Amino acid sequence: MQDQPVLSWKVAGLLLGLLLITATALVKPLGVSTQYVVTDAIVLHRAAPNAAESNEYLNKYGQRDDWGVGYGWMLVFGMFVGGGLSAFFTKKFRQRENPSLPSMWREEFGSSSPRRMIHAFAGGALLLFGARLAGGCTSGHMISGISQLTIGSFIFGISIFASGIVTARLLYKRRLAS
Amino acid sequence: MKLVLGLVIGMAFGAILQLGGASSYKKIMGSLLLKDLDVIKLILMSIAVGTVGIYALDLVDMANMSIKPTYVVGITIAGLIFGVGFAVAGYCPGTCIVAAAEGKTDAVVTILGGLAGALVYALVYPAFKGLIEITNYGEVTFASAFGVNGIWVAIPFSAILFLLMFKVLKDRY
Repeated sequence: MQDQPVLSWKVAGLLLGLLLITATALVKPLGVSTQYVVTDAIVLHRAAPNAAESNEYLNKYGQRDDWGVGYGWMLVFGMFVGGGLSAFFTKKFRQRENPSLPSMWREEFGSSSPRRMIHAFAGGALLLFGARLAGGCTSGHMISGISQLTIGSFIFGISIFASGIVTARLLYKRRLAS
Repeated sequence: MKLVLGLVIGMAFGAILQLGGASSYKKIMGSLLLKDLDVIKLILMSIAVGTVGIYALDLVDMANMSIKPTYVVGITIAGLIFGVGFAVAGYCPGTCIVAAAEGKTDAVVTILGGLAGALVYALVYPAFKGLIEITNYGEVTFASAFGVNGIWVAIPFSAILFLLMFKVLKDRY
């Protein structure tokens, strides 16, 4: 099936584990969500330096790399480059007729693109608010944190799947009923 | 040099997620609907491999670990909020970056939402600091709590995960 990933979960999971070990040996474990704050800090610092520096949270992350990009930001930028290249070379690029609407979404909610965009935006905002309150996301807390046996990361992993599973079931009521 | 290393590690990270299908809305929602557990199993596999590797490195003092503090109440609330966002967006903060690179415009919008959510958090941070301070047990792990070397927890934990992946969780429902 053309919809199936190139690598099985076994191979991809193994490679991701090995990458995590490599990153921990060379620099530190993997993490993504901090870079959203760093990006906000950089942009706000360009636009309104005083506002950025007087915000305690932005200042904490902004000052670390002198209000510029550091290792972590380059890692996230690299994810964009690496993901784009592998999609391109495995011909997964631009495969869908309407890239803004996943087919599964369309079956449940119809072809309203604005509605999908509202969900995508609101979902993203909740993701990062939650990730910053927790101190990490799926990569930093779940994959890196649980691998380091951090107790808080186990708690985070359990609570995201608890509320994620409930929310998904509420969203896809019709699909589940049929 | 550090910047180049970040770029290279990030490229590998992005490529693995993309090739493993973790940047697919359908695969992520399949996991949350418990219909297609591939993404969950991908995560479990990376942890099963990673935990043994990290604590093996730690034995020879080569692991640059970064243990996050465990504040039970704050992390639980944060996880519940994150989970709603996970299901509503159908991406997480890392996979939306990869999905955006694949040309999915909804993932680009999720990134923008994420930047907004992080900014809102920065603005309300003083009010939420209390949640980080109560029930905060500091940088505690299942190894430090039991007072043993991490490798002795990592090995049985990894074995449990392999059991989960190959014996408990089925491929298709």
